[in-house]
Amino acid sequence: MNEMDTLSGFRAEVPRPEPADLRAQEDRLLAALRTPPPRPALRGWTRGWKLGLVAGLAVAAAATAVVALPSDPPRVIHAMPVAHSAVLTRAAQATAGQTELRPRPGQYLVYESRMMFASEGTSRDGVASRYLTDELRRVWLPVEGDATGGFIDGERLPPKVWPGWPIPPEAWENLGRYRPEKLADFDQRAEQDLTDYAHTSAWPTDPEGMYRRLYTGLGNDEEAHELVWGNVQSLLRESYLPAAQRAALFRAAAAIPGVVTVPDARDAAGRPGIAAARLWAVRGTRVELIFDPKTYQYLANVRSSWTRPRPGPPWARC
Amino acid sequence: MSEQDAACIERSRRDPEAFAEVFRRYAPDLTRYVTRRLGRDAADDVVAETFLAAFRQRDRYDPARPSARPWLYGIATNQMGRHVRAEVRQLRVLERTGTDQVTAPFTDRSDDRVSAQASGRSLAGALAALPKGHRDALLLIAWADLNYEETAQALGVRLGTVRSRVSHAAPRTRQEQSDNGGGHP
Repeated sequence: MNEMDTLSGFRAEVPRPEPADLRAQEDRLLAALRTPPPRPALRGWTRGWKLGLVAGLAVAAAATAVVALPSDPPRVIHAMPVAHSAVLTRAAQATAGQTELRPRPGQYLVYESRMMFASEGTSRDGVASRYLTDELRRVWLPVEGDATGGFIDGERLPPKVWPGWPIPPEAWENLGRYRPEKLADFDQRAEQDLTDYAHTSAWPTDPEGMYRRLYTGLGNDEEAHELVWGNVQSLLRESYLPAAQRAALFRAAAAIPGVVTVPDARDAAGRPGIAAARLWAVRGTRVELIFDPKTYQYLANVRSSWTRPRPGPPWARC
Repeated sequence: MSEQDAACIERSRRDPEAFAEVFRRYAPDLTRYVTRRLGRDAADDVVAETFLAAFRQRDRYDPARPSARPWLYGIATNQMGRHVRAEVRQLRVLERTGTDQVTAPFTDRSDDRVSAQASGRSLAGALAALPKGHRDALLLIAWADLNYEETAQALGVRLGTVRSRVSHAAPRTRQEQSDNGGGHP
């Protein structure tokens, strides 16, 4: 018997509770969810108001699946291939002409985005439902520090129709603005995974260095490429890289195998764009990074699924 | 199912009660895991606090993540941090006396269980002696069935850190057993 087998047997007599045993806990949780949490003191937070940037726009046609994992300590990795995505190469070139922010410690960077997600499940009256949620999201993140120093507010907008499906009544509840809340009670990311400006501004400015950073600890297989593509997407959404690092990021991303061009992309607001996209056959998803076709300013990301959503058993529905 | 985790959490941003589905999916396994570490009474509190903290941080949940499981176990691990002394104390009691306060409420025939055997007593001593981060990594893999990558994600550390913690911790549990196995009165 090895140590893991012994450990598995240790205290194994503790039973897995049945759902009925947890009913009271669930009721207490539901009661607590209905009670708004105490508001944090927001002294000083208005400092960041003047430093707005990055209007992103996102839609997900089906919530899916890229895992952004912390990576290993540096190891030998594969060499960066030749960049092949013209869209991302042009996006890198375009960074030179873009307005550069020079945030200082003590300030906040404000990220405003509009997010639409597919919501699928069973409504309270037991009817299968599918519709699009729509939300304005505004996140303040400190120039120096992790997410525990951040705040969020926004506005929940009326739901949008998924063609052919009725919008369930509960989709109309809890709409409107919500007041600023603390973004996170704790942030467990390791130092090297932090993406505040103080860290991103120290990242490599050459594409090869950035590519090494993106692939550190990962392999050279399909899963690694998909993880890296997902991490690039996350970086563009709610972090800010100086122009030199941003250009390096685009050039490194241009070399990720499997990136294709979508010439006629469109974001959730209906804005036309040109996109760099990556298909992941395993999960049946496609993630597009959409750019303005003239200025190559980043506009949005769109995650879509080309597989039909499976109906799934009741417990798998939301 | 995993795609649905993100959908549930997204939906709960508008409809808080949708978060109950996340509770129904993960509370049974999470409750057993926390109970095995801290005992029944503390587990009730930790699990409740975990889901409440998760709910309040659902805006930080990355919808690209396929499963909420590592995220929830990470939050639970954080919540258990306040109970680390009690956890170690109970392990030491088991090591010294053979009485396990954690499993006592669940069995009246504990004499043939691992935790009451001499090997269980020495294992308890080995677990008590580990740094908390090592114990977390080891037990997330052995008890929560997370893989190395999910454990790294849950603990917010690098994959290599998890590997080194487990490779450091696991042999120590074996070493303790071979040193002490059967040696307790």
